[in-house]
Amino acid sequence: MNMMNKTKQRITYWPIGLLLLGTLASCSDYLTLDELDNRTVAEGYYTSTQRVEQAVIGGYVDLRRALLTNHAWLMYGEARAGELQVEVAYYPMVANQQLTVADRQLARLADWEYFYDVVYDANEVLRLIDEVNSDVLSTYHYNLFKGEALALKSMAYFYIARIWGIVPSAEKSDFGQPMDETSAVERAAGFAREAYGLLPWMLLNDDQIESAAVTAVRFNKTAAAILLTQENLWLDNDVEAYEVMAGLAIEERADSLSDFGLAMGKDERENITEDPLGSSMVSISAANLAAIYPAGDARQGTLFRLSADEKKATFIVRDQERLDLLTKNECYLLLAEAAWKTGKLEEARIRLMEAADGATEDYSELGEGEFADALLRERQRILIGSGQRFFDLKRFNKVSAYLPVFSEADIQNGAAYWPLAQRSLNGNGLTQHSYWSHE
Amino acid sequence: MELFPKFFWKTIFSVIVLPAGLMKVDAQEVVQVDSVLWPVRNGVENLLQGSTAGLRVKSWSGEAGIQSTLNLRGLSMDPTDESTMPMMMVNGVPIVASPSSVTAINPLSYYTPDQIERIEIIKSIDQLAAYGVLAANGAINIVLKEGHTGPLNVTASAFAGTNYLNDFNYRTDAFYDFNTTARREVYRREITHSQQAIIDGGGDFGSYLFGVTNYQDNGAAAETKFTQQSLFLNATYHISNQLKAQFYSNLTLANRKGRYAGEYERGLPRPVLRDEAFFMDDNKNTAQLSSLHLSYQLAPAWSVSSLAGISYEGAKRDFFIPSDVLDGSVRAASAAVKRQLISVNTTVNYRHRFSDRLGLSMTLGNEVRTLDNRITSVDGSRSLEYGGSNFVKVVTGYNAGQTDAWSGHDRENLLSFYGLWNVDFNQDLKVNAALRADASSLYDRKWGFYPAAGASYSFKNTLELPLTVSASVGKTGILSRPEVYRGELTAFGDYFSGNELGIGKLYAAFEDAKSIDVFQVDAGISYAIKDALVLSVNYFDKRYSDFTYRRYLSNIHGLDYRYETGGKLALSGVEVELDGNLIQNDRFQWTANINLASYRNTVEALPEDLGNTSFAYLQALKSGDALTSIIATEGQQAKVIGNSEASLFGGLTNTFRYKGFTLGVGINYALNADVAAESFSSRYTASQVDGVFPLKTAETPYYFVEEDAGGNTVYQGIRSIEDGSFIRLSRAVVSYQLQSLLRGLPIRQAELFVRGDNLLTWSTYSGFNPEENITGIRRIDLSSTGMPLPSSVVLGLKLVL
Repeated sequence: MNMMNKTKQRITYWPIGLLLLGTLASCSDYLTLDELDNRTVAEGYYTSTQRVEQAVIGGYVDLRRALLTNHAWLMYGEARAGELQVEVAYYPMVANQQLTVADRQLARLADWEYFYDVVYDANEVLRLIDEVNSDVLSTYHYNLFKGEALALKSMAYFYIARIWGIVPSAEKSDFGQPMDETSAVERAAGFAREAYGLLPWMLLNDDQIESAAVTAVRFNKTAAAILLTQENLWLDNDVEAYEVMAGLAIEERADSLSDFGLAMGKDERENITEDPLGSSMVSISAANLAAIYPAGDARQGTLFRLSADEKKATFIVRDQERLDLLTKNECYLLLAEAAWKTGKLEEARIRLMEAADGATEDYSELGEGEFADALLRERQRILIGSGQRFFDLKRFNKVSAYLPVFSEADIQNGAAYWPLAQRSLNGNGLTQHSYWSHE
Repeated sequence: MELFPKFFWKTIFSVIVLPAGLMKVDAQEVVQVDSVLWPVRNGVENLLQGSTAGLRVKSWSGEAGIQSTLNLRGLSMDPTDESTMPMMMVNGVPIVASPSSVTAINPLSYYTPDQIERIEIIKSIDQLAAYGVLAANGAINIVLKEGHTGPLNVTASAFAGTNYLNDFNYRTDAFYDFNTTARREVYRREITHSQQAIIDGGGDFGSYLFGVTNYQDNGAAAETKFTQQSLFLNATYHISNQLKAQFYSNLTLANRKGRYAGEYERGLPRPVLRDEAFFMDDNKNTAQLSSLHLSYQLAPAWSVSSLAGISYEGAKRDFFIPSDVLDGSVRAASAAVKRQLISVNTTVNYRHRFSDRLGLSMTLGNEVRTLDNRITSVDGSRSLEYGGSNFVKVVTGYNAGQTDAWSGHDRENLLSFYGLWNVDFNQDLKVNAALRADASSLYDRKWGFYPAAGASYSFKNTLELPLTVSASVGKTGILSRPEVYRGELTAFGDYFSGNELGIGKLYAAFEDAKSIDVFQVDAGISYAIKDALVLSVNYFDKRYSDFTYRRYLSNIHGLDYRYETGGKLALSGVEVELDGNLIQNDRFQWTANINLASYRNTVEALPEDLGNTSFAYLQALKSGDALTSIIATEGQQAKVIGNSEASLFGGLTNTFRYKGFTLGVGINYALNADVAAESFSSRYTASQVDGVFPLKTAETPYYFVEEDAGGNTVYQGIRSIEDGSFIRLSRAVVSYQLQSLLRGLPIRQAELFVRGDNLLTWSTYSGFNPEENITGIRRIDLSSTGMPLPSSVVLGLKLVL
């Protein structure tokens, strides 16, 4: 009986205590969930170097999308110049400069969205590397990621400026404000200059060992220097172009130099090719091949393989893992150009000859007046497949000379630019280049 | 807010045994389950079909184990059934009630009619506000039977019968353009059967009821099957005079074999092969609901109560298409979803009568809910070149290069405080008030406040009129989907030989996210004629505002969209219900229920620059048009061509009893819903017809503008716009009490019954089932279109020992 009473007493009081706890259980802790496992969420994700690095790599993947979707890097380059052929239905329209034909894939090529994705990715990286805890990133990684983000952004703006000629800013300070080609390239050069200062010559792999393979698919100091020089030459900042390139040409630097290209891999979007220069897609006609490389030019055989019927040739892809964009080969070309433009013709000739190893021509006696043509020709031969051809024609004012479909007046009216996509016009309050608005 | 450190809260959570009485809300309408006509097909929603004014249950698919859509004054910009589904509870415990995305098995099938005492339908705002942010679209509480007082009772019942496609003509089948020959072979009579045993009893100690159910429904197509087994226990125990405990547990295993001709081949490039019985589509659910309810009477006026519940469902699907269909490669997928909802609801209740004329009851409560959902899926394809069991290898990642795996995890914590006040005066006037504060772990601005008040007045004493009038007003809310609040990163692709993964932001977190506000007004009258006939008429008006939508950004933003809130909707309606015991004497009884509801939903306001938002599909609508409008294009102009919602719907139930015989007939109906049927033959790529839709003889001039898988603009012609009105003999029951024939046997009750489902449908609709298209559009790919709805007839016996 006594025990029952005790039990009854306990029954009477324990619920009250628990009830009080229950009613007052209003911790803000309960309403704040920690990071969810198994899930990638935007907030609070960047807690380690590897995770920040994933964001940097996101920028490269978007750059790859920008350049590989519909073989865009060639469409904006050698395909538009009619020199390389791409086995897609819309290639003839591109080669014939019929860029406003109603075609879904052409419309895709006219849209700069992927390039702006790269700019956004880069700005996100720049924002988050300053926001993450200081113990997350070492100085090396901080400088590397910052340099890579700036270089990616610089490259994206540089492409947009050269392809479309009108470049709305995606920077916080003047978002949406359109820039003309020159001011956009100036801005791009600013980013590249900063990146050049930050990036290492060689990158470290996960074991903290210098890795040539990693360096070749990420922005490194060589790549930033080439990019900066391309932009400087575009802007006629010839002195800086020369200084930067001359800095690379010193002998003790030779082992530190690296190519830069896009790493191949599986994209979440299935239409991104993993074999961009594959023989089934990209080829050059025998006639074009002969016109570009005269008989005896040693480079033809190292770059191309003739088909059995000798009607066309396809690329000999040396590295299936990478599509080269900025190569060490270009350093000599850029140095030659910078030297020539700064009045150092003798050095320019030497550099051009170093670059044009395998050419049949003798450039040792090249005169001032012939230099531009020779340089343009060698850039075409050496850089074929890297997408720079049409930009070179533009830079050397040779578009109408090589593409008779355009008159000089057409070029003045924006024919050398790619027409702006309807999305770009509608969404950003822009007007079409007058040449394309009348097409 | 740091009233307590974290460990306190964890202690509370781990010791779910909290003190004790659930908040008491008087339901607006109560369906006594033993007095309604039971369907053959399981699912609580099917049990309720046609029983209550305003509760719309659409039998959209005849596939066994699939949930019928359920709507109780619900409306949403989000065009999914889940977003308008009422909050479902069992004995006051919120449950996982919508079908999982992987198995589509109906969680409302876990509770058979034999277990259920009554179902409370909660519609008016002064009652809904008590349930807070999850109940803006109404609430339904399933109250389970407890053991009868007395020694052991044993109830056993079983039925068996057949499903058949009444008057089935394959040309009226929505799938008629696919694999016609096979389907004519595949659709056939199939069996359905069920067995159940329940043991119950009760006394001073409390009561117990436990039982087991087996159910099988093979639908009406070969190789499909739904089976379900449940084991349940409902026990109450009077620990002392003051302390009472109730425990409920239900464990259910449910399997659904979902393969049938015509389901899969539409997306496959190869010709269809025979009846496709070689497809594998196995769906398995394991579900558990457990609840513990403790109530303690502290003093005559004071009591405390606590109700803790865990609702869990694990769902798994294995899917396999063999190589002979897919040209040498297999396609296999496996997905598993785990959903759990844990809730603890603790209240303090006070009841006091100040005098014979004035009484007060008050409840102060705290509720916490934790929702935790996870999904894992593997989807792969692989060629046959390596031999062996492809399915197993693929789904376990044998060939990872061709296999995509995905995993997701959503969690949300809800914390609520609420107060309910009920005052009654002179037994004529009742005044209710509710105030609830809800906070979600998803919000930056955590708290939402939901007040409501209502009153009812009976003229019985003052004017001697059997008339009651009521009115209420208040506000509640609906949470937007979790992904809105936090932003999301996405994987872009491999880099550097697949060693690194590139990620980027898919969209930014929406820091200003808030719940959808719902403002509701109710008014009603109820008139009783000689207690035999009760007529009630209710009116309601709901105003929804601040929906979350996507704003598409221009192509320099680097993000495709961001979230914003805006938009206003309205839903109003009149519900009429007539309940009558028309004849009541010793030999003959006739009871009847007639209900109808007439609703109107309208778009009141839409965001600016609508074309660049996820609401762009509503561009053709003006303020005042129905949200459920079917919008198509004529010429180049978008226009409204119909309304997919019925303007009038309801049910009619009559039950006649004569001596031991019972005849029950249930009819449900919906009028003036339109169905637009897409044409199989007029579908054009816009570029091929120069942007001009070619009109076709005997078809309408309207078409939908769509985008195909390749991104091309496609004009999809509309063959016909039909009236989807129908009246359906949805239930019929004939039973006979034959215990008088079994004298001498220890049998207290014996009932022989014949039940029928969907026996006749009167409609001018050209397809098989006027409700088969959830969106009101019969699409050529048949998305959101159900399988033909079979009729069912079973013969059964129920014994009570």
